[in-house]
Amino acid sequence: MAAGRVSDLTPVAVLGVALGGAVIVGFLEQVVAGLRPAPTALFGSANAALHEPLSRPDVRDGWLFHLAPGLLLLAATAALAFVPWAPGFRGIDLSTGMIAFPAALAYVTPAIFMAGWGAGRPLAVVGAFRWLALMLAYAMPLAMVTTAVAAPAGSLRPVDIVDVQHAVPMAIVQPLALVLWVPAILAVCFLRPFDFPQAPGELGGGAFSEYRGLDAALVGLAQRILLVAVSGMTAALFLAGWHGPVLPPALWMAVKTLGVALLLLWAGERLPRPGIDRVVSLAWKVANPLAIVAIAWGGLMTLIFYS
Amino acid sequence: MSNLATALVFWPSTALMLVTGANVFRTSSMARAGLLLLAALGIEGLVFLSLASEFLGVLQLLMMSGEMVIMVFFMVMFMPDPGGLMGMDMTHDKRRAATLAAAVGVGLAVLAVLTDWPARVIGTSAPDVRAIGFEVMGRSMVTFLFAAMTILFAMVGGVLLAKHGGRYGRDD
Amino acid sequence: MVSLPVVLAVAGVMFGIGLYGALGQTNAIMVIMGVELMLGAAMLNVVGFLRYSWPHATSGAFFVLIVMTLMAVEAAVGFALVVSAFRNSRTAEIDDLTELKG
Repeated sequence: MAAGRVSDLTPVAVLGVALGGAVIVGFLEQVVAGLRPAPTALFGSANAALHEPLSRPDVRDGWLFHLAPGLLLLAATAALAFVPWAPGFRGIDLSTGMIAFPAALAYVTPAIFMAGWGAGRPLAVVGAFRWLALMLAYAMPLAMVTTAVAAPAGSLRPVDIVDVQHAVPMAIVQPLALVLWVPAILAVCFLRPFDFPQAPGELGGGAFSEYRGLDAALVGLAQRILLVAVSGMTAALFLAGWHGPVLPPALWMAVKTLGVALLLLWAGERLPRPGIDRVVSLAWKVANPLAIVAIAWGGLMTLIFYS
Repeated sequence: MSNLATALVFWPSTALMLVTGANVFRTSSMARAGLLLLAALGIEGLVFLSLASEFLGVLQLLMMSGEMVIMVFFMVMFMPDPGGLMGMDMTHDKRRAATLAAAVGVGLAVLAVLTDWPARVIGTSAPDVRAIGFEVMGRSMVTFLFAAMTILFAMVGGVLLAKHGGRYGRDD
Repeated sequence: MVSLPVVLAVAGVMFGIGLYGALGQTNAIMVIMGVELMLGAAMLNVVGFLRYSWPHATSGAFFVLIVMTLMAVEAAVGFALVVSAFRNSRTAEIDDLTELKG
């Protein structure tokens, strides 16, 4: 790969960030829910999930059903690998990282489809199809916003985009891009208020309702890793990554990532879940045209300030 | 990429790609057929990466995921037995198609191996993103515009063909 | 050892598999899937040449980009046609869509 670097320790480090991040997100979820952070509760539930007998619910398509959590986990970890954390630890530093990141996130869609279809229950299948409609609607603003954000840096490498923000964070230069980015990544992580695949109130549990034990634990782990990945990428793309006055770069990045994650969880807790038809029509009628405007704005900013 | 790394990624990916591609037409479950095609074309993206085409490989991975899931969606809508529970055989002319396909496939492979390709190994890096960008926006801009117009016409035409009431609209 | 003939041979085999699908399947969507495999094989050919013969040919990379785009476009138009055919004749099997047969 032409200009990318994968040192020997990078995969291990990425896995460490994934698992550590998932644990921290678990804590944040407890904080947001108003409970006191209790490590025992977190590890206790994980332990219980792992020790449940590996049940095989009577599902229609066993292969797809049991492969789906693995694919979800793979997509989440691959997305996490492209986030740059510090000048010394850049994850997988591809020169086309800003295409690779949405590519990794895009595999959440087949995974959820496999989960719903494999389960074979009518409501699970409908949940999977609903998710497909939602993701199609929000995948385009996601990709277009990455174009708008990559324009000032003149490069698709996330490290270059972080470096171009050493003076001014991108959130100030391109606020429209940020406004479009947040719902898109919320939709990708199937977090509230966009958690149509698996919310308890929607379609009797939705696409993941048939998962038990280890499979369910893997899905939860994948969702938390996804949250860490998109929060990290938001901090890198819009909040100037590791640039900051006093603290070392890695610490700034960690602070910003956790801040974004906390904000997303808190927003999910507070905001009601709108009907899916409203969300999808909002995406097609409002978000997609505005994404084109965001690209034009990004180009304008590049011409004026960054060239 | 070093030769060893290339070979390590290329051979398993290629084998998996051909196996999943062949199985697309052997399974009777529509969801599995679409997802096997996703696997085949997605792994082709990995093959591109192993052949040092970083941009094209990543782009292939990105595009195939959405495209194939849409394909599965349509198959479930329009096929008589999407779950594959009855194991219907949806082929016609199987023997002729198989012999023709085998002949063409083996013929191309033999042609590839036996031809005396001019030996040019200049470097191991495919064009990088900047170069492709300059190409698209510079020399190939007209082609790009034509492709864009084609996409626009396809979108409009597709919506027109598929909307309720057909192309001429309904009276009500 | 991965070299140009190997890549071209693999692409040739993949083309054959796609051809089997395009010729042998009765459902229109399965035919489209066969065509997608054939286009994928063509792209693999070009990428092989990019790697082993002309590493700096940006027009080759552009060609692959256009083929990828047109794969999606062709699939979209194909699906629209299937939808339309299904609405009119309640079937998407190409053996039954014989209105224009002489």
